[in-house]
Amino acid sequence: MVSDETVSPAESYGDIGDGETGRERPALNRIRPRRCEQSEDDMQIDLSEEQEFFRASTRRFIEVETPLGVVRDLYETRDGFDRGWWRKAAELGWTSLFVPEQLGGGVLSGRPTCDAVMVAEEMGRLVSPGPFLPVNVVAAAIARAGSEQQCAAVLPGLLSGVTVATWAICEPQGRWELQDIETTATRQGRNIVLDGTKAYVEALGCANHVLVTARTDDGITQVLVPVETPGVTATLGRSIDMTRRFGSIRFDEVVLPQSAVVGEFAGASEQVGCQMELAIALQCAELVGVADRTLEFTLQYGRERSAFGRSIMSYQALKHRIADMAVLLEGSKAITDALAAAIDERAATRSGLASIAKAYVGTHALDIVDDCVQITGGIGVTWEHDIHLYNRRAAVNRAVFGTPEDHKQKLLVEVAALDEVSA
Amino acid sequence: MSAENLEPVEAFGARAAHWMQGHLPRWDDELMSERELQNLLFDHGFAGIAFPRRYGGAGLTLEHQRAFVEETAVQDRQLPIANRVSIGMVGPTILQHGSDEAKARFLPPLLRGDALWIQLLSEPQGGSDMAATMTRLTHDGVTYVLNGSKMWSSGALDADYGLCLCRSNWGLPKHRGLSMIAVPLKGTSGITIVPTRGASGLMSDHCEEFFDDVMLPAQNLIGAENEGWAVARTLLLHERNTVGNVGYGRLVGRRERGPKRVFGGEPAAASATAAIARRRLDAVGTMVVDAYIQSVVVPLTSARVMAGLYAGTYKGQWGSLAKLQATVAAQASVRTAMAAQGADGVIWDGEEVRTDNVGTTWLESRGGTIAGGTNEIQRNIISERLLELPREPAPDQHLPFDETLRNSGRR
Repeated sequence: MVSDETVSPAESYGDIGDGETGRERPALNRIRPRRCEQSEDDMQIDLSEEQEFFRASTRRFIEVETPLGVVRDLYETRDGFDRGWWRKAAELGWTSLFVPEQLGGGVLSGRPTCDAVMVAEEMGRLVSPGPFLPVNVVAAAIARAGSEQQCAAVLPGLLSGVTVATWAICEPQGRWELQDIETTATRQGRNIVLDGTKAYVEALGCANHVLVTARTDDGITQVLVPVETPGVTATLGRSIDMTRRFGSIRFDEVVLPQSAVVGEFAGASEQVGCQMELAIALQCAELVGVADRTLEFTLQYGRERSAFGRSIMSYQALKHRIADMAVLLEGSKAITDALAAAIDERAATRSGLASIAKAYVGTHALDIVDDCVQITGGIGVTWEHDIHLYNRRAAVNRAVFGTPEDHKQKLLVEVAALDEVSA
Repeated sequence: MSAENLEPVEAFGARAAHWMQGHLPRWDDELMSERELQNLLFDHGFAGIAFPRRYGGAGLTLEHQRAFVEETAVQDRQLPIANRVSIGMVGPTILQHGSDEAKARFLPPLLRGDALWIQLLSEPQGGSDMAATMTRLTHDGVTYVLNGSKMWSSGALDADYGLCLCRSNWGLPKHRGLSMIAVPLKGTSGITIVPTRGASGLMSDHCEEFFDDVMLPAQNLIGAENEGWAVARTLLLHERNTVGNVGYGRLVGRRERGPKRVFGGEPAAASATAAIARRRLDAVGTMVVDAYIQSVVVPLTSARVMAGLYAGTYKGQWGSLAKLQATVAAQASVRTAMAAQGADGVIWDGEEVRTDNVGTTWLESRGGTIAGGTNEIQRNIISERLLELPREPAPDQHLPFDETLRNSGRR
């Protein structure tokens, strides 16, 4: 932690496990953990040399640029991240993973989702700021389904980090499924007219483009909307996460040219499925990082605490819970990895795996962080201690893109059909 | 054999795939006996895939073994299951701790399935504190003499040999006075084997064995006298690996998903559960989905642990994690099926105990979290050995064992 010997904020940048920036809190300092180094373990087991290098430089970038002290400072800001910093992240390759080289992107391993979950996991480990998820989901959608003109107009800005895009799919009251969509995209002569309201739109306050998923009489249509378009009203909001901002966006007879349609008019449902699967993979990977890191520093802390004459971590009452957490964490890594691989291979199982991953990781990452709060004790429920930063991220990720309960409801249908297929 | 001379895993996998098409029956063909299956594997060079050739193995690696079992799953081919104790647990233990003579003598028949081995570890007074073994091994100058009893030994009635943990010195601290010895179970005088009746009312394959002055030659020792604890720890590691389906114990592949995989038990009962799931979108539905999620996550996790151990990024007793996860999930899935089926799950028409009844399956399934080292012991291993948390104080660790017995009032 940034303890008594801290001399300058610059030095505290190396101090990753802690958000304090040198303020004196002697009473708390006595019961707070010492600095806890990040372990070298990561989610994917067989990384190539290039991937290993990318992961290491990503981790270093996060440790230096946005340690927890910076995350705490960003809490006070409107956007929750710094635009100059985001351009630096883009230079590192954070925005180019899903864009082919001929469109200006940079492919790392040929398995873009497997590469991107590495970044997401590292972001989770230090509850990083930044619109990594929405920008990549939109960039991947444009690169895959967008017209030449859309690619040329939108991708360069996203790739350089100068512009930001986000995805608006969900409707108010937590409705995530395609069948819940009430926002309409209607043909009117040569134009498209958009009507409706979308909620929980990440990074809306700084987005230049919004990819809107809407209903058309005979299908699903996606439209790329510049936020400045007349008839668009954005209402910015916050979340319990320190840096992740959301907002609602209303479309009142918003008129757009035909060229704003991404992919096929009334034929986008498969593409939307791909976006959802990618979003869930990134979200789960981030949750894995959140849970892994929380467990890591909680164990470190527990080793230094004693009660009744011995280390609290020598009590089975705690050790057995921690062993169960280790199982859940390992399962979370396994299912997230499998989902990322299935997306890259375009395997038929990927939609089911996405729901399984969200149900499993969404539930257990929060369980792990929450139980770590309990083990940490009183200091764990103070603003000073960093664990609430992790609880915040875990709770927001759990809720966005369908709760585990929503996904279980979906899976139930799949289970009910099981004996018919295997009979 | 040097690494560069090894057959590449892919080439091996292709060769194995081709071979099993012509030789191994499918699961829906007539069932071949365990011994016949193992003979068949051995005679064609597919038994003990990661064991050295001079002991009857194929001289390849665990990655080759994994490729083989995955292919059997893809093709739905029969594999021997009952001798997983021999092949997955005892074999690698003898390989690590046995003398050259012991390896040459014991391993080839073990790998061929001609000698079926079991472990003789737990005792009537306990199994979690395994180093507190009371079975006594003495030396009369010529041979060893074994006295005492073991319990919960699976498959003892059919087995040819048991690997037995016993106390050879009572004056040393408990972990340091133990020995491991191979006990021939057939035709040896002084051995009585009694099967234990399970909670379901069915006779289980767990047995209790009584040893009265059983004479054993010195060559049957595996590892040195009084150094049996190291052997036992290796054996337990392989047991957890086998239950968790990793390491040498990765002896079954990932089967396709179906109701049987999800809900365990008999196919008919599993289909019944899926049918109930169709009309119960309530609390029961949530349990059913949780079981379904586990049926996907558990094999992915054991495959991940296996890959990590193989790549060397994971070291140590990760089998405990896989065992803990798999057994909890297996039990929960049967409990779910029972909840889904309600009264039909525990009540039936007819006089006989029905093995296809989910309640019966549940009674039998309770052993999973206890056998192979209770899950509480697995949690100790995960926290203390994988996560390196401090050990629980053990007041008996450095005392002579007979003093420990006096202190605890057992003697």
